[in-house]
Amino acid sequence: MATVVEGGRDPRGTVTPRPQAPVPGPELASTPLVIRRREDEETVVTFPYLVWREFLAGLAAFCFLLLVSIQINAPLLSRANTSITPNPAKAPWYFVGLQELLERFPPIMAGVAFPSFVIIFMILTPYLDRNQSRRPQDRKVAIVLFTIYMCLAVAFVVIGEFFRGEAFNWDWTLILGHPGLSSPV
Amino acid sequence: MSATPDQANPVRAFVAQLWGSVFRHGLPTNDKVAARTALTNFFLHIHPVRVKKSAVRVSYTLCLGGLSFFLFILLTITGLFLMFYYIPSVDTAYQNVSDLQFVAVFGDIIRNMHRWAAHAMVITVWLHMARVFYQGAYKPPREFNWVIGTFLLLITLLLSFSGYLLPWDQLAIWAITVGTNMAKYAPIVGPYTRYLLLGGDQVAQGALIRFYVLHVIALPLVGFLLMVVHFWRVRKDGFTGGL
Ligand code: HEM
Repeated sequence: MATVVEGGRDPRGTVTPRPQAPVPGPELASTPLVIRRREDEETVVTFPYLVWREFLAGLAAFCFLLLVSIQINAPLLSRANTSITPNPAKAPWYFVGLQELLERFPPIMAGVAFPSFVIIFMILTPYLDRNQSRRPQDRKVAIVLFTIYMCLAVAFVVIGEFFRGEAFNWDWTLILGHPGLSSPV
Repeated sequence: MSATPDQANPVRAFVAQLWGSVFRHGLPTNDKVAARTALTNFFLHIHPVRVKKSAVRVSYTLCLGGLSFFLFILLTITGLFLMFYYIPSVDTAYQNVSDLQFVAVFGDIIRNMHRWAAHAMVITVWLHMARVFYQGAYKPPREFNWVIGTFLLLITLLLSFSGYLLPWDQLAIWAITVGTNMAKYAPIVGPYTRYLLLGGDQVAQGALIRFYVLHVIALPLVGFLLMVVHFWRVRKDGFTGGL
């Protein structure tokens, strides 16, 4: 009894081509409101079903943030002073990976080539990936490459943030503490 | 001729009229009413009337796109409160922020929330991108929504980065000094880009006002517009649905 509507997908997740021209006509005609009468393709009304869940998710997120904000203060150091350079001076954590790259590669590579390459490659991803299947077993290469990229990105941030001390030199003591001292200094 | 309860009781009739004028439909007692409510309500219109059950399973989106949007709204609201206190001048900024943190009633909670939500948003947007990739949800017909998403990720990072300077403490100016120094390395345009961003050679008043304007107006506006388009396309393309 399955009614497959244009632009829909077959149950295994392969994408059928997009319709050439949207069907003109009464409202919602071109919206892919795919209604398939099958147990696993059951539909529900978004209101109140989905809206209620979103409300709960939002509430949970809000409560969590409120608790964190009551417990942990945002950092506020002494007033900005251009004549006192903190050591090490670090970028915000999400750019610390870049800073880490700059430590290892010539600036033109780390500061310009790598980031530009990542952004451009990311924009082009859907156009470069000619594989139409969405099933993980058909996308081994894509998944492995992306996972490597994600791990590298996280690793560089973690190294920059937790393993770089004075003058951005490698420093185990941030994590392990000073030998002979009971607490990290 | 028996009068209906509403006719008999003018107060109830008025309440019913008031309610009816605000909400076009009654409580969603059945699917039909629920569907009509979703169709005619501006805010609910972001959703289709019906969705596949598999598409709204938490295990599918992990709530990450929705959470990113929720955090964006929360940041807008807390940011609004911060703006009541904050003056973007090197002479006052630091004092304003310490007043918020130590003097103003609930100021610390608002500032903390703004700060932690900003960090959280960088993480949720990043993870949302990962889930979209792993599910191949960027494949046709959703290629362009991925492109819009890429720009949303950049906007999110820039929003966070521009906000970092505003407290005008040691953490702020040095992080921005290090961050903007990276821009210098681009051939030819690098130094100019940095000068343009900072409104000078170093992080000073010129940089503060530029970052402030970017942070409270320009970037949120662009980000919001991109989100609207992003959601519109999610609506029109339909959810990718479970695997
Ligand atoms: C401010 C940042 C962003 C917000 C608020 C946002 C919000 C959303 C929401 C609410 C959805 C619906 C499904 C879900 O909740 O997961 C969605 C879907 C989607 N997003 Fe985002 N997003 C953002 C950034 C991104 C990024 C960085 C990418 C990728 C580079 C991206 C690509 C997509 C795609 C392709 C879909 C369709 C997925 C599907 O149909 O399964 N978005 N987004």
